[in-house]
Amino acid sequence: MGLTGTEADIINCVARLRLVTKDQIRRQVGFSLEYIGFLCRDLIRRCYLGFSEGHYFLAKDGIRTLLAEDTPKIDRKLLKEVAEEVARQISGELKRAVKGIKIPVPPSGIRKDAGFETSPEERIKINTDFDFPIEDESLVLESNIDKIGIKIEKEKSDDMDKTVRLFKEMHKKGRKR
Amino acid sequence: MIKTKDDKPAGNGLPSDRQIHKREIEGLKGQIQKGKGVDIGTMFVKCAYKEGDEIIFKSQRNAFFEVEHTDFTKKILDNSKVKYIIKEDNLYVVGDEALQFANMFNKDTRRPLSKGVISPTEKEALPIIELLIKSVVGEPAHKPEGNGLPSARQSHKGEIVYFSVPGEPLDAEFNVLYHIKMVEGFLKTLGYTPKPINEGHAIILSELAEEDFTGMGLSFGGGMINVCLSFMSVPIFKFSVAKSGDWIDQQVAMAVDETASRVSAIKESSLDLSKEGDLSKIESALSIYYNHLIEYVIENIKQEFAKARRLPRIANPISIILSGGTSLPKGFSGRFKQILDRLKLPIPVGSVRMASQPLRSVAKGALIAASADESKK
Repeated sequence: MGLTGTEADIINCVARLRLVTKDQIRRQVGFSLEYIGFLCRDLIRRCYLGFSEGHYFLAKDGIRTLLAEDTPKIDRKLLKEVAEEVARQISGELKRAVKGIKIPVPPSGIRKDAGFETSPEERIKINTDFDFPIEDESLVLESNIDKIGIKIEKEKSDDMDKTVRLFKEMHKKGRKR
Repeated sequence: MIKTKDDKPAGNGLPSDRQIHKREIEGLKGQIQKGKGVDIGTMFVKCAYKEGDEIIFKSQRNAFFEVEHTDFTKKILDNSKVKYIIKEDNLYVVGDEALQFANMFNKDTRRPLSKGVISPTEKEALPIIELLIKSVVGEPAHKPEGNGLPSARQSHKGEIVYFSVPGEPLDAEFNVLYHIKMVEGFLKTLGYTPKPINEGHAIILSELAEEDFTGMGLSFGGGMINVCLSFMSVPIFKFSVAKSGDWIDQQVAMAVDETASRVSAIKESSLDLSKEGDLSKIESALSIYYNHLIEYVIENIKQEFAKARRLPRIANPISIILSGGTSLPKGFSGRFKQILDRLKLPIPVGSVRMASQPLRSVAKGALIAASADESKK
């Protein structure tokens, strides 16, 4: 499937700036942030773009396809410049590897042509079970909510106790397994 | 026994009104069970707790609207029982009335929450959401055992409250951790032991006990749709998409040149998705965007199934529960079934039904989790 005009504009923008945020694309191309995000995700899926740490970049496969296809509206001169830079980068990496320098693979993810993608096996577990003290900012507010009251609805609890018991039993069984 | 002035019987030997009131409150307090469930949604904050054989739901609309701050306006609002908040020199109408005011002035309401989390662009978000949460959750009915000194509170062994949180969004680049930590921290300052529960999972706890908590819960909220597939009460996958009721309102508003608040008011009051002909311009646009939204969430569910490596063997067709304010229009479940029949999920689906109380099921599910946890103590 070829590229639409807006998609080509995004590719040109990314080629021009090399590493670009969604907001930068939006400012250059127009449209809403949401729509730009939608198009970029689709371009990643189709291997034209890569994404890492909040920035989009041209994916190697995408550059190859675009140069081979002679896609209309794409700035070929700019694209060739990017391709040359990528080629230089790869050759530099190769030279270093030959010299016996180990190129570290980021533990958080595996690199795919379409960007960095985290492999489930290597996913880092971050502890989020910490206490974060919060100040009650609402203390500075004046309000009549308490005076007027809150909307209250009631319903018969019927089987709620049974549901709670069943849920507890299932949890116990789950833990034993 | 020391008797205060108020504890003295009235002159006729009968208890005074104040004594009766005090006894009533004490009687009620005795019946309030430990554990609360809170649904913190983009549109509403709702708290559920059990009192005797009833579940009590306290709710507050999560919206505010700025009006001119004069003593006269304040007095009028007080007399008309319109809720307001004053911060420095600003006067904000809150709750349902905020929506009415916004419609009157042909403007949109402001929201402390956006897309299911604390709004990053609303400068008053934090104090206002804290006040709204405090107004529905209140102080714990059961203080921690011990000397009741602040140290007991700081050890966070207070009454358990489960609060709803959205799943990680598939289509937005934000993380829900900040939101969770802010709400959790605030509930701790009130003296609770807060625990998060996924919104979709809460629906399953509330609605699928007879099916051993196996099935799928979908919460169509104001800012997000939350999805959870659960097997024997254990979530298999859970996620959210950052499109829901607000997105529909905004798209329709743009399509027909109306304000989103006005579209929302029509959507909430009179939309009938089973109606096939004789639709107004707004109704037609609403119908189109409802279709789009349903199709969008089903396609995302299909993708999650494709990504899931090891799915448990579920012997029977699963039930799907639809819930949340955006699912309220008449004919919503019919429309959902129609689209699901066409798009099909990779597992057999039994019934697709609305939650018994679509606006209460998240808070109720959170309450069930809290009650189960409290009874383990």
